[in-house]
Amino acid sequence: MALNLIVNSSNPPLGALLAAEHVKGTVNVSVQEGKDTKLHVSDQVQFNDVNSITRYLARVAPSLGLYGSNMLEQTEVDHWLEFSVRRLCGQSKVAPALGELDRALALRTFLVGHSLTLADLCVWAALKGSGEWQAIQASKSGSFRHLYRWFSFLSSQAPFATVGNQWASKITASKAATDE
Amino acid sequence: MALRELSSLEKSLGLKKSNKYSTQGDGKVPVLQNSKGPALVGLVTIAGHLVREAKSPELLGRTAEQRAVVQQWLEYRVTRVDKCPKEEVKVVLKELNEYLQDKVYLAGNNFTLADTLMYYGLHGIVVSLAIQEKEQYLNVTRWFDHIQHYPGVRHHLPPVVVLRNRVYPGIHH
Repeated sequence: MALNLIVNSSNPPLGALLAAEHVKGTVNVSVQEGKDTKLHVSDQVQFNDVNSITRYLARVAPSLGLYGSNMLEQTEVDHWLEFSVRRLCGQSKVAPALGELDRALALRTFLVGHSLTLADLCVWAALKGSGEWQAIQASKSGSFRHLYRWFSFLSSQAPFATVGNQWASKITASKAATDE
Repeated sequence: MALRELSSLEKSLGLKKSNKYSTQGDGKVPVLQNSKGPALVGLVTIAGHLVREAKSPELLGRTAEQRAVVQQWLEYRVTRVDKCPKEEVKVVLKELNEYLQDKVYLAGNNFTLADTLMYYGLHGIVVSLAIQEKEQYLNVTRWFDHIQHYPGVRHHLPPVVVLRNRVYPGIHH
């Protein structure tokens, strides 16, 4: 089974790209640039929504445990997927959401369970593309210290660094273009 | 104590053949009789030898700086943690708590031998902490919980219950 992920090159879906990067050793998935983001599973089945794409990729590679290891963890993962879309993406004020994340991470290395899940991928991707979070990081204000630790830990891991270097600059470039 | 720790370390490193150890002196310092050379003495020395034998040198640090940090915490373990008098425990925990604020592992973003040996060394202390104290040393608790769930590390030690959400959010750090 060969999957084909087509990504919108002017607004790359970092979460979907991260999920593809993580499962690529287990599942045959190719990445292409195009106009719209889409995961092509077969001629009958295609997904357009980023969360649907990441969920599908996590489910076809169950050995990686990206969807948590039990029902409670799966529900927690769903919570954070929803959170990243509603509270972090495209919001003008993200500070309250950042505060919530910071509290959640006080006693955790990863958002859900004891290993990496979709929750980490999608929340990291949303923050990576958030201008407000970039500004907070640059200001070194010392607030959101748990979130800061979690974010830089993930950023240092190979798949995150690869996706960040390859795609995140495109988001900044396209944002700058729309702001002008 | 040190001997069980070394045999757990052997298993977590995936070494098939386990060694026979003896102890030396009042401090029960572990000794490894080496077939190829002189006897090795001391916890950190033997642990470092096992890591090399398992061909996992990255556990001693990936860069020059990281190797120095790993050695620093290994020494901290045997000098500060192992000989820690009761009234000093809080000082050690406070020190560690501040250090771990912005780190996932002792050497930063990579798991090393320092995490394993500090985890074994601190187990007795963390086990006896009250819930409120575990929350006071929030960063130590988070690191400890992560290491005890790290694949293959825990072995002979009982798991410590750690709350994943704060009960006393009023305490500041």
